[in-house]
Amino acid sequence: MPHTMIHFYHVTKRFDRYSTALHDVTFHIDKGEFVFLTGPSGAGKSTLLKLILRQMKPSDGQIVVNGRNLNAMRRAQLPFFRREIGMVFQDFKLIERMTVFENLSFILTVLGVAPKEHKKKAYGALRAVSLHHKLNAYPPQLSGGEQQRVAVARALINDPLVLIADEPTGNLDPDLSAEILEIFSDANLRGSTVLIATHDRELIQRSGRRVIALDRGRITDEKPAAPERATRAGGLFGIG
Amino acid sequence: MRRDAEIPRSTLGYFFREALRRIWVSKRTSFVAVAMIAISLLILGAFLLLSENLSRAVTRWQGSSRVTVYLDADATPAQVHDVDAFLAAHRDFGARRFVTKEEALARFKSYFTNLSEVVGELDENPFPASFECNVSPRTAQSPAFAREVADLRAVAGIDQVQLDWDWVRRLRRLVDVVNIAGFVAGGILAIAAAFTIANVIRLTMMLYREEIEIMRLVGATERIIRGPFLIEGLLQGTVGALVAVGLLFGSYELARRLLSPASSLLWGFLFAGFLPWQKIAGLIAGGMVAGWLGSWISVRERTEEAT
Repeated sequence: MPHTMIHFYHVTKRFDRYSTALHDVTFHIDKGEFVFLTGPSGAGKSTLLKLILRQMKPSDGQIVVNGRNLNAMRRAQLPFFRREIGMVFQDFKLIERMTVFENLSFILTVLGVAPKEHKKKAYGALRAVSLHHKLNAYPPQLSGGEQQRVAVARALINDPLVLIADEPTGNLDPDLSAEILEIFSDANLRGSTVLIATHDRELIQRSGRRVIALDRGRITDEKPAAPERATRAGGLFGIG
Repeated sequence: MRRDAEIPRSTLGYFFREALRRIWVSKRTSFVAVAMIAISLLILGAFLLLSENLSRAVTRWQGSSRVTVYLDADATPAQVHDVDAFLAAHRDFGARRFVTKEEALARFKSYFTNLSEVVGELDENPFPASFECNVSPRTAQSPAFAREVADLRAVAGIDQVQLDWDWVRRLRRLVDVVNIAGFVAGGILAIAAAFTIANVIRLTMMLYREEIEIMRLVGATERIIRGPFLIEGLLQGTVGALVAVGLLFGSYELARRLLSPASSLLWGFLFAGFLPWQKIAGLIAGGMVAGWLGSWISVRERTEEAT
C-alpha cells in the first residue's frame, strides 16, 4: 500500500470575504510520486504550496503531510517539519549578503551538520546543478537562471522527504529546464516526493508525470502519470 | 521530530560571528547603544565608588567609637577627679585616657601643620583638657548609654560631651543616601540603556526581516534566529560595562593624583581605594543583563509577531 505523503481534504483558503484562493480542494500525493501542479496565473498554485509549507493555515479543511496534520501543528514543531521539505521559491529567496556557499552552509548550520562537512556537501549540491565554480559568488552576481539553480541546490542539500518547487524553470532556457527536471527526477528516484508548480506545458507533456490542474482555486483536471513514468509509489519499483 | 535541546558549539560560533558582523555593519547605532550603557554604568559606578569610600571611613571610625569629655578651662582638680570617678563607675565608657591641654595643642599642630604657626602666636593655649573613652558601637547606640551621657553632662566641671558616634551615624545616613541616589540614577539610566539596545536590535531585525523570513522557511528554529540578536545585545552591554569600568578607574586614578596631597585628611578617606572586584563584577554583570534584556525585549516582540 503506498503511503500518502500529502493529503488535502476539502481545503479552502479565503483571504477575505471577496477573495478565495482555494475552494474545497481535495487530493492526495503518495510517497515517491512526482506531480506537476499547473494552471493559469491566479489559479491558486502558490497558495497551495504555501499551505503545504505551513506558511499559512487553511480557512477550512485539513492538510496532512507525512502523517502530520498541519492545522494541529504547534509553532515549535514547525521548523523541524520544514526541514523535511525542500522548497524552491519562485523568487529564489537567497540571502544576498551571503555567498553561494554561505547560503548553502547556513542551511547545514540550521540542520546541525558539522561545519567540516559543509564544504563537501555544498560542493556536491552545487555540482549537481553545474554551479560548483560559483561557490564564492554572491547571488546578485548571478543570472536569474543561476540563482534558480542555487535555490534548487539548497532545496536538495538535505535529501528532503518532499521537494516542492514554484516555477523552477521560469527563468531557464529549454536545455537548463530539462537539466533541472533531470535533477528533480534523480531526487525522486532517491526517494523524495516531488511537487512542481509550473506553467510550462511542454515540460509537463515531455515528462509524462501526473498532473493536477487548478483554475480559480478549484481542481479542474487530474491526469495520471504515463505508465512508463509511474513512480515507485505507482508500482514501477514494485512497492504499490 | 528532532529537537535541538542543546545548542551545538558550531551554532554558538555562528551566533557570535553573526552578532559581531551585525555590530560591525551597524557601527553607529551599536556605538550609541554601547555609549548609553557606558554612561549609565559610569554614573552608577561613581556613586558606588563614593559610597564605598564613605563606608570604609564609617567602618574605620565605627570600630573605634569614642566619647570625648571636654573639661571646663577652669575646672578644679576635685571636679576633674569627680569626672574621672563617674567614668570609672560606668563601665559602658570603657578604657579612658586623660588628654592634657598641652597634649591637645601638640595633637592639633601635628594634624594641621599649616595652622600650627597661627596657634603658636596665641598667648594662651585654647585647647581644653579632656577624657577620651572607647565605647563599643553597640553600646553607643543603646538608650541606656544615652541616659548615662545625659547624667555625665550634669557633672560639674564638664564643658562638652562629644560622641563620635553621631558623626558616624550622620555619615552612615549619607552613605545610604548616596547609595539610593546611585541606584535610582543608575537604574533609570540602565533601563533607558536597555531600551536603547532594544531599539537598536529592533532596527537590526527590521534590516534583516527578509533574511529572518528565509531562515524560518528553511527550518531555522526561533532559537537560531534569535541567538545572534541576543548575543549582539549581550556584547553591546558587556563592552559598555567594560568601557564604564575603564573610564571610572581612569577618572579615579587621575582625580586621586591631582586632588590627593599626602597631608589632606579629607581626600585621604575619599580616595582610600577603588571598587572591590565584587562590585566591578556586578557592574559588568549589570551591563550584560541590560544588553541581554534590551535585545530580549525586541527579539521577543518581533518573533511573536511572526507566524
